[in-house]
Amino acid sequence: MARQFYPLVVSDVEPIISGRATSVSFAVPEYLRETFRWLAGQHLTVRVILNGEEHRRCYTISNPPEEALRITVKRVAGGLVSNHFADHLSAGDTLEIMPPFGGFTLMPGATARRTHYFFGAGSGITPLYAMVCSLLVNEPYSVAHLVLGNAREKEIIFRNELDALQAAYPDRLTVRHTLSSQSMWSGFSPWRRGRVDEAAIQAAIAQTPPVAQDAQYWICGPGGMNADVARALANMDVPKDRIHMESFGGERAADDGVTGVAATAQVRLDGKTTEVAVGADQTVLEAVLAAGLSPSFSCQSGVCGACRAKLTSGDVHMRAHMALEDKEVLSGEILTCQSVATSKHLKVNFPE
Amino acid sequence: MTRMYHKLPVDAYTSKDWFDREQRLIFSRSWRYAGLVEDVPEPGHYVSVQAGLNNIFIVMGRDFRLRAFHNICRHRGTQLIRAVGKTQKALTCPYHDWTYDLEGNLVSVPDEAREYPEGIDKSCLGLKPAAVDVWRGMLFVHPDPNPPSLAAFLGDVDPFLGPHKPEELVEFDEARRTYEIKANWKIVVENYIDVYHLSHLHSNTLHMYDHAKAEFGWKGPHYHFWEPPSEAYGKSLESNLPTPRVIPEPHRGAWVPMLFPGLGLGASEDSWNVFVITPLAPDLTRIENRTKLANVSSWEYSKQSWSSAGFWKSFGGPKYSGDDAAGEDDPMASGDFTTEDIYACEQQQKSLSSPYLEIGPASTGESPITKHQKAILDFMVAQEERAS
Repeated sequence: MARQFYPLVVSDVEPIISGRATSVSFAVPEYLRETFRWLAGQHLTVRVILNGEEHRRCYTISNPPEEALRITVKRVAGGLVSNHFADHLSAGDTLEIMPPFGGFTLMPGATARRTHYFFGAGSGITPLYAMVCSLLVNEPYSVAHLVLGNAREKEIIFRNELDALQAAYPDRLTVRHTLSSQSMWSGFSPWRRGRVDEAAIQAAIAQTPPVAQDAQYWICGPGGMNADVARALANMDVPKDRIHMESFGGERAADDGVTGVAATAQVRLDGKTTEVAVGADQTVLEAVLAAGLSPSFSCQSGVCGACRAKLTSGDVHMRAHMALEDKEVLSGEILTCQSVATSKHLKVNFPE
Repeated sequence: MTRMYHKLPVDAYTSKDWFDREQRLIFSRSWRYAGLVEDVPEPGHYVSVQAGLNNIFIVMGRDFRLRAFHNICRHRGTQLIRAVGKTQKALTCPYHDWTYDLEGNLVSVPDEAREYPEGIDKSCLGLKPAAVDVWRGMLFVHPDPNPPSLAAFLGDVDPFLGPHKPEELVEFDEARRTYEIKANWKIVVENYIDVYHLSHLHSNTLHMYDHAKAEFGWKGPHYHFWEPPSEAYGKSLESNLPTPRVIPEPHRGAWVPMLFPGLGLGASEDSWNVFVITPLAPDLTRIENRTKLANVSSWEYSKQSWSSAGFWKSFGGPKYSGDDAAGEDDPMASGDFTTEDIYACEQQQKSLSSPYLEIGPASTGESPITKHQKAILDFMVAQEERAS
């Protein structure tokens, strides 16, 4: 399937948490139903032209696959696209959307029997919410425990939806809120104060230890939270292959100071091989785009995985590879947007 | 000509060959009961269980998740773990002190440089994983690390097992006992699921339930059974219950399923029991009984005991008494249904080697017996096909 943008009509725009975030739903026409089928946890890329300039953003789908295609976008201070959605988008508008993708997915199983722990913060709830909904309906023998961090009560995305789910599935879902900046005088008393840190994680698991022993851990939060949660789980001897995470918040991966070498790359894309010069200061993706080729890409921060390719010869250094599993890295998968050449000759195959 | 006992040859109840095949194809290839969740209460605690040919141990990690491993040191095969216990972080084989962490990784080989001058790849010598899961407060193990889930195995029968939540009840330690029956394990199962005998062998010991109204059936290889209280008992059920309720009103009756292979449950308004059947030899079977009761104050127990005392005083008794009884020790004069069952099983086993044995027709109430025999045949055929 060629990864390309499709125009989709916005069916609903809903400001939530007092306008601090916006849920945008899309009408998917019948002929695109297959193309836009998604798994809970996946995201899509939106392309918008503002003041003549193209902007691409990657947003998680905040509904399970049975519901409407919907993204939920938190307003970012000074953020062009998030503010545009909040202030100017309305039902009936058309947006350019690339079909759902991403490897941070929960595939429910009718006879699977698992204990799912979800650790999220802020807008990191969006994929976790889709996952929780999906498994409550489609994985009837499993349970979910959600620990959700926010600054204040009024910033909790999907608070009412989560309350309703808890009421509907009292034996299969727990939701625990941690609030880091809540006033003591507020009427809402969270499970804990502070962040989703090591102490909170240990307390959560000790309070609700796994009954179904196939335990899976899903993490989605901003900035350093994922690494902190993963470390806390590792300290409890949770095996790595049970931990799944997605970084959130849109931060660029920091340049780690490793510089590349000038190289030539044989790039295979859409059945053709092209020789591309890669500058020492260029990523493989930048060089490929500069050569006039059009591979798919999206977030350009190593999070989404849209630009992945297989390195069959040569060496690269990846600044970040959040979107790849360790074993994929070992088998030669790379994120071209994060790769600089460290050998003079590369062979890079983009997926068909 | 092969002498038959309904669908199985009589041999299936007496021969070593059948016993070995069942051990290999049934008890070593299925989810096996391994205890109650409270047997492994905290990180570091472990138990081991013999499941057919496999000895498997369960240990809880610091993440409160259970791990199961084959209880075999990867060095010379010594069993690592004895019965139950608690460790901090490591499991050491007593033979040469090879040490594994709680993930099963081999972390230490004593005198490694001297004993293995060529080097030894510890990463290939981790403990072999098995599977463990929890269902209704019970631990189950499977020798295959990636078996079909317990939900796939027990999901269909689960709605017929009663509204009990065993994990919320407390064990009544005095009722815990292990004993042996000198009979083949299938004889014991068949006795457990024989609806016909309830009104006869146990005419004076289980008549607080109305056997004529029993509802029973099968989901896959699992048998389910429920019957309501008898009129005499049910009239004032709430005051007649000997101990406080374990399930909410208006649930009433006895749920007595037999989960494959050989895990009987016995649950009523006021108790929940496991009856674990383990074959030891063609004519020897071990039974483990454990009982759980309501987690309420002793005051509640006292109240219930007083309110029911009058009913129980004049209810029930031995099957035979006076001149009919063979003496004080006659099981038929015990007034205890378990003693009656053991006696019946052992008396039946004794006849299986007689050349004059000829099994009579199965009654309607004995239809579960022939179904269980078929479940055994089907399971073994499926396993043999899988293996070939």
